[in-house]
Amino acid sequence: MKQSPPSSQAALRRLLVVLAIAVGLGIYSYGWSVTNIDLSTPQEASRQQNVTNAMRELLSPRIFEQERTQVTQRSDFLIGCDEGPAPAAAAPREGEPYIIIEPTCGVPGDVVTVTAYNFAPDSQAEIRWIPAEGQSRPREVLGTRQTSIIINTLGGFQGQVEVPRISGSIGQTHAVGFVASVPSGPVQFSGTTHEVIRRMIETIFMALVATSLSIPIAAVLSFFAAHNLMRPIRIPLGNMMVAITLLPIGWWLGSLLLGALGRFAVDLGSGQLLGISAVSLPLIFVLGTTVASRSLGQVNNNDPAALLRGITRLLLTVIAAILVIGLLGGLGVLGGVGLQSLADSFRPAQVSTLGTWLVNALADGISGFGYMIGILGGLIDLFIIPISGILGAFALSSVVGRVTVPMLRYASVLTSHVLGGILGALSGAIVLAAVAAVAMSAALLSLITPFIAALIGGQIVSTLYNRLLSSTSPSTLLWRSGQRIVGWVGTALVFVLVFQWLNTGRALVDGILPSTQTVSFLFLQLPPYILDAALVGLLLGAVGGALASTHANFVLGDVLYNITRTLLNATRSIEPLIMGLIFVIWVGIGPFAGVLALTLHSIASLGKLYSEQIETIDEGPIEALRATGATHLQTIIYAVVPQIIPPYIAFTMYRWDINVRMSTIIGFVGGGGIGLLLNQQINLLRYRDAGVAVLAIAIVVSILDYASAAIRERVG
Amino acid sequence: MLRIENLTKVYDNGFKALDNISLDIPDGQFVAIIGLSGSGKSTLLRCINRLIKPTEGRILWDGLDITAANDEEMRLIRRQIGMIFQQFNLVKRSRVIINVLTGRLGYLNPLYSLLNYFPSKDREDALANLDRVGIRNQAYKRASELSGGQQQRVGIARALMQNPRLMLADEPVASLDPATSHSVMKYLELLNKEDGITVLCSLHFLSLARTYADRVIALKDGVVQFDGLPKDIDDDRFREIYGEDAVEVSVS
Repeated sequence: MKQSPPSSQAALRRLLVVLAIAVGLGIYSYGWSVTNIDLSTPQEASRQQNVTNAMRELLSPRIFEQERTQVTQRSDFLIGCDEGPAPAAAAPREGEPYIIIEPTCGVPGDVVTVTAYNFAPDSQAEIRWIPAEGQSRPREVLGTRQTSIIINTLGGFQGQVEVPRISGSIGQTHAVGFVASVPSGPVQFSGTTHEVIRRMIETIFMALVATSLSIPIAAVLSFFAAHNLMRPIRIPLGNMMVAITLLPIGWWLGSLLLGALGRFAVDLGSGQLLGISAVSLPLIFVLGTTVASRSLGQVNNNDPAALLRGITRLLLTVIAAILVIGLLGGLGVLGGVGLQSLADSFRPAQVSTLGTWLVNALADGISGFGYMIGILGGLIDLFIIPISGILGAFALSSVVGRVTVPMLRYASVLTSHVLGGILGALSGAIVLAAVAAVAMSAALLSLITPFIAALIGGQIVSTLYNRLLSSTSPSTLLWRSGQRIVGWVGTALVFVLVFQWLNTGRALVDGILPSTQTVSFLFLQLPPYILDAALVGLLLGAVGGALASTHANFVLGDVLYNITRTLLNATRSIEPLIMGLIFVIWVGIGPFAGVLALTLHSIASLGKLYSEQIETIDEGPIEALRATGATHLQTIIYAVVPQIIPPYIAFTMYRWDINVRMSTIIGFVGGGGIGLLLNQQINLLRYRDAGVAVLAIAIVVSILDYASAAIRERVG
Repeated sequence: MLRIENLTKVYDNGFKALDNISLDIPDGQFVAIIGLSGSGKSTLLRCINRLIKPTEGRILWDGLDITAANDEEMRLIRRQIGMIFQQFNLVKRSRVIINVLTGRLGYLNPLYSLLNYFPSKDREDALANLDRVGIRNQAYKRASELSGGQQQRVGIARALMQNPRLMLADEPVASLDPATSHSVMKYLELLNKEDGITVLCSLHFLSLARTYADRVIALKDGVVQFDGLPKDIDDDRFREIYGEDAVEVSVS
């Protein structure tokens, strides 16, 4: 049986609970005053009137309109009855519209009764004051607070207006006008409706393009952000350091040599070297298929001939890859222009019959497709040099890796530590120099350099702790928490030191970024800030590498996972509206800015959702495929991809749904689509037109909501 | 010949799953590994194709040190070691024929996989292997539509695609009913007798081991408790392996 605690303890606990509730209530209620919750403002008569009017107009959207002609009848009015004879009232006319005013003379402030006869029943009208000179103005009908009048079912109206105070009007003859708008044409969709439909189509396509652009990028990133796939990826530290050391050289060589090849391929594809391309295309095709069809065969690292074959195959693959990419880009540019002129060549001069309409639609389709592949080709054309650099870095790392990996593997313990120190110094300098190059661009980014240095430093300190105290039992709780605390202290210490050394505070406090003036160092021209960071990396890398040795495991997967996750989370936390603001500055007001903002946010959001799906898959098939000797890539294609396709489709539909909603408001910051129109209408207080846009948004969003739910249910 | 020398596996959480195990397994033997749950059967099997990296010790296969192989060499070794699993580990949404073909991936250019391409020779072999385990007519169904016993036979067909010289079976019948269990065990026996594939099969039921195995290895708390012929396990031995309260039940 459970023993009840002593009564004093129970009372204390009850007191604590009460105290906690009281504190919680206090914090919560503070929120009410912070958010200005207030009962008096909404009760003010003018505000209630305004909100009623705004709501009434919003809920009376100007969907339809009808052409109207204005029928005006007037009757003279003398200001100051003593100034002369009062004008005669109009004579009643059978079947014709006319008005009678009573009295026909008076002073400003007097009330005039206006009676109208024989106007079109139920039509809209207003009473206008027509002065002797100048503009006529509508008068408020007394007792209604508005100028607009609805003529009764018999075509008549009676109401009172006040004589306006116009200086110097005494003695003048003014007139009271009765202006009726009479419908004179068919009811049709209003100009607003047409505009809203046009903008709505733009909006839906913005969402579609943003979603489709984000899918491939998010899908690739999601693999790096999935912990279960990345955690097992570990490589020997020595290989990692060799790869990092080779990255800059590989990038340089790649962008130089492969870049030239790629540029050539783009020119080839885009038809600028038409003669050569006729010969080269089949050659490249043969090369590509030969490389692709060579099966792996037996790999044996101790056989130099096999090593050479492997390197040759790798280089051929890289060359084939850059040629194919470049050709695709060039063909895209060429095809884009070609298709657009093809479409123009048969586009009918004018669209009158169904036949010409169909031909015109076909031309539009072909031209649009040409536009799209032209842009995609242009994108490759733009990025061919960076792509070459990446491929070059990859190729050089792999080639040299094939030679050094076996060497590093059989290195003795002492050699591995010495090599670790040397390679660590080199790769540490390269990593921190690269980080510093990014960090130089903004104050907040300058925090990254000390942060990365601190991560390495913390690792070194906790390894040192490990080594020095390895005699004591490592499994005790005290020992492990000691290691953790020492690690954190080391991290903090290195952070502060590097922060000071690189003078990061200056950027943070004054916003003054490090100088970009370069100084000469060996054969490099670099800003001193980057050299300082490289020096920090050199020292930390040398110590860390020597301590760890080339045999140590580098948790490459965890590092990639953390980088990807951090980037995705940071991007996801920024609303597309804010991104839209930046993109509007870059590409101008319009749907393109909106598409870019939505794409960026969708990449982050889908990347996260996708990766969470990967983390919930059945790992059995992955284990089974690894056991058959499949590569990482093959395991992903055959064990992971089939499992994630249904949830990927579901989440993509969901995201499209969200993107349509987002793109309806991204126009508020200039991102194009229906939001731009809505924003203008609201600023001009044209609530009836805004009502059409709001209605359209409501209809489209609910249809899509339903459709995406239905599709998700089907694939789920 | 598979030689295991002083194999020890300590997991990150400190659990010692295998404690200094040494074994010699000649080619062509059908070896049953028995023991309670947690006795180290699965860990032992997974150390052999290094799905789990051993902490200490060596595994030599025809003189080749599996424990020292790098990733690429390990891939080439794994191609020759088939494995089937308690939960079958099929991709349930994929077709049976694709599941079988994935057994061949280690021999194919990874670029093929990007195009989802398999050579026609492999497709024929896949159908032949499905025929061998008696479910050729199910080839184009989704794996999830098959019964448990059929799924395990797909697993066997997948392993056969590797042309394995060694077959690791991790509790292959623990999720199946007695009748289906025997059918799956019979296929393993067939591979052992007809193709001369060495079979290492972990089992819960001693009766299955008695029926099919040439040799029984009993593990208890990560050490070898018994290594010998199935018929040599008498009641006393049985209690040593499974504990004082255990009673032998048989799968009929």
